[in-house]
Amino acid sequence: MYSWIFRHLPGPARVRIPLAVLLALGVAAILLFLVFPLVESHLPATSVTVGV
Amino acid sequence: MSAGGTPGEDKHPRTLLPAPDSPPDPPAGERAERSGLDRLDDLLAGPPRLPEQPAAAASDGVPAQGGRPTARKEDPPTVQPGGAAAGAAARGGTPADARDDAGHGERRGERAGNVTGTQGDPWGPATARPPRPIGGRIARGAGELMITAGVVVVLFLAYQLWITDIFASRTQDQIRHDLTTAWARQAPTEPEPGGPAANQRPAVPPVELGDGIAVLRVPRFGADYAPVVVEGVTTEALRRGPGHFPGTALPGGIGNFVVSGHRTTYGKPFSRVDELRVGDPIVVEVADRYFTYRVTGSEIVNPHRLDVTYPVPGHLGEMPTRSLMTLTTCHPRFSAKSRLIVFAELDETRDKSQGAPPALTDR
Repeated sequence: MYSWIFRHLPGPARVRIPLAVLLALGVAAILLFLVFPLVESHLPATSVTVGV
Repeated sequence: MSAGGTPGEDKHPRTLLPAPDSPPDPPAGERAERSGLDRLDDLLAGPPRLPEQPAAAASDGVPAQGGRPTARKEDPPTVQPGGAAAGAAARGGTPADARDDAGHGERRGERAGNVTGTQGDPWGPATARPPRPIGGRIARGAGELMITAGVVVVLFLAYQLWITDIFASRTQDQIRHDLTTAWARQAPTEPEPGGPAANQRPAVPPVELGDGIAVLRVPRFGADYAPVVVEGVTTEALRRGPGHFPGTALPGGIGNFVVSGHRTTYGKPFSRVDELRVGDPIVVEVADRYFTYRVTGSEIVNPHRLDVTYPVPGHLGEMPTRSLMTLTTCHPRFSAKSRLIVFAELDETRDKSQGAPPALTDR
């Protein structure tokens, strides 16, 4: 999977390596700022109120 | 998690690297680092040639690489004592492993690409060997997925522990600004200090869910502790700050002023609520007054104990005569198993024209 992605990045190695790092950072940012805020409401660990 | 490939990826390429690569050259650590990249570019520039080679020649073998062997000999593999090379040797790899491990793993990916590109098999072996058995490919894919899942879990933890705090801090700044603006806009209906009317005026005008209603100050949590309490205890409201249970008393009012807040994540306004001791002041600031509550006790209850929010906690239907305050948060930390409840009772009401209450000034 990861080797496949790396092979399909354009350019020589010195371009690809930063590109791969950027890609990883981008995925992390999407997770942190878009995906996690959406999914965490369905997790129980943040309940602080009482009630039924 | 760079795309450079996982450690398990190189089994085949390694064992098939040609002998000319063999003699290790201990001292040339930095040189390998630099020329490794150069060679990397050479190799990466090469691929278009390779598909024309017969599949067998397209292996890592020297013949398939045209001028490459020379380049390789100029740049023999490096042994870094105690480093990657030693590790590779310990695993029974060839010296080429050492080079790969020393940070040039991407070469593998490229080599693999040369061949698998022709075979259309993204996970295929990098050599003329028969394709990796389907079981191996599945195992490797599963391994990569599991590593990815682990990284996602770690990221989620980081998100919960730090990113939500950033969100919450930004939101709180905004709410604080809105609240201060609203307070300034409210016609300062000069009340006679200490006059009987002081307690009749509503402490908080009607607000929307999620809007700020008061500022909480707890000297035990430090002088900087001043989260804005918002109206509502929905998930969204609680992400903005500690939330006032709608329908319970307003600050200073007769009954029970109930506030819930996150103990972890989202600015964790109530992270230290467990440190409160009986008698500790909790100051609630509204537009024109400070209400000083004093802690009367605490309790750890199960999450269904709605009765702690009753106007007279624990007694449904009883008419309240005192002004109480109840803080609720999760317990233990990082868990939703129980709730930590802190009870307090109004001790002093002070008009803002009289200055900050002694609880805040006597440090």
